[in-house]
Amino acid sequence: MIENVKKINNLGEFACYKITYPNTIRVTYAPHDEANTDYQNILQWVADGNTIQEAD
Amino acid sequence: MSKSQIVTGGIADDAVTANKTSGVARPNVNPLIINGDMAVAQRGTSATTLTDGSVGFHTVDRFAYNDFGTPSSQHTMTQESLTSGNAYINGFANALKMDVTTAQSSLDADDAVTILYKIEGQDLQLFKKGTANAEKFTLAFWVKGTKTGTHVVELFDRDNNRHVAGTYSISSSDTWEHKVVNFPADTTGVFGNDNARSLDINWFLSAGTNFTSGALQTSWGAQSNTQRAAGQVNTVDNTSNNWHITGIQLEVGEYTSSTIPPFQHESYGDNLARCQRYYQRIADGTNKMIGLGSAYSSANFFMVIDPKVTFRATPSIDISSASNYFLVIGNNQSDFVDDFFLEAQTTNQMIRMANTSDVSLTQGFAYFTQTNNANAFLGFSSEL
Repeated sequence: MIENVKKINNLGEFACYKITYPNTIRVTYAPHDEANTDYQNILQWVADGNTIQEAD
Repeated sequence: MSKSQIVTGGIADDAVTANKTSGVARPNVNPLIINGDMAVAQRGTSATTLTDGSVGFHTVDRFAYNDFGTPSSQHTMTQESLTSGNAYINGFANALKMDVTTAQSSLDADDAVTILYKIEGQDLQLFKKGTANAEKFTLAFWVKGTKTGTHVVELFDRDNNRHVAGTYSISSSDTWEHKVVNFPADTTGVFGNDNARSLDINWFLSAGTNFTSGALQTSWGAQSNTQRAAGQVNTVDNTSNNWHITGIQLEVGEYTSSTIPPFQHESYGDNLARCQRYYQRIADGTNKMIGLGSAYSSANFFMVIDPKVTFRATPSIDISSASNYFLVIGNNQSDFVDDFFLEAQTTNQMIRMANTSDVSLTQGFAYFTQTNNANAFLGFSSEL
């Protein structure tokens, strides 16, 4: 169950998505790749009405 | 000796068929089910409180907890070591165990819990599904359940939203039994010849009426949820209930309990390597080496990881993220860092990670990295 998704940049370019989950120290850093299941989960999370947080 | 002298002795020539000769009938060299003997558990051997929201991989590689709706039942999943019983004396030293820790005696209509196995389409082409020459499927496994009665196992074609179900009966409570379940061929709906998820195998543990109110779909057909698990007993209705499984094999063609070819045991190393196409845990616990990198600048540390085997697709980083869980060491100094993130240049053959939030290093110097907490871990996931 995804709690939050945030874009991570490095040197001014997109690097990955940071996914956090409730009540755990586990996090996922997912690529922008449609074959990646975690990215697929992000797309579903967005389709469910959630919003990806922009990078700092 | 001439060819004419080679005969089958007292056995009629046409009585010797492929199905009667162990292993010869298989078109596949390696078992289609990876880790069917439950030997590999990279993420750990026990996971507690699996319930609504816990869908995913927790212990034994390739086998996921899965649910539908919002089930309230809770489970502990373990990689179990076997020392007795029929599965053990038939060569299986490990099993996957689901222990009900919070019971759900009354299921909501849309609730269901399954153990899920997913297969890439390119590994299923030998079934010739969707063609005139489509093959039957046979699924065999050892199972032990507290709850006796009818259980449902389903094949779900994700490419074409088609499914078929079979049943097996647990005859004796808490006793290992070997089951062979046949599924018909499907001349409709081709499996994609790619690295995507094409076939799901669902072993149902519970199913609400949205999954049981129709007649069980025993021939391939378009998705009809009410026909997915008709007849499934509720194995989650009592905290005394356990369900165990091991020795899973998927075969091309139709077999019986008498003709099913033997389970294809692999070495642990071969099994692990096949699991690592989908997940690689490279560090677990404190003071475990991760790899070598360098300081691009004082506040930007890059590191490259060469994976053990090529991933199915570009992997994610699966990591514990907490204060000082990792160390970056070099140039007579060390820095604590909380985690590492994935860089966009990562491919399924090479991983680049970085930390830009915690380090203060000397530009251009090399540094190695390691874990720094008993609860720290780092893995890469390319699961289906």
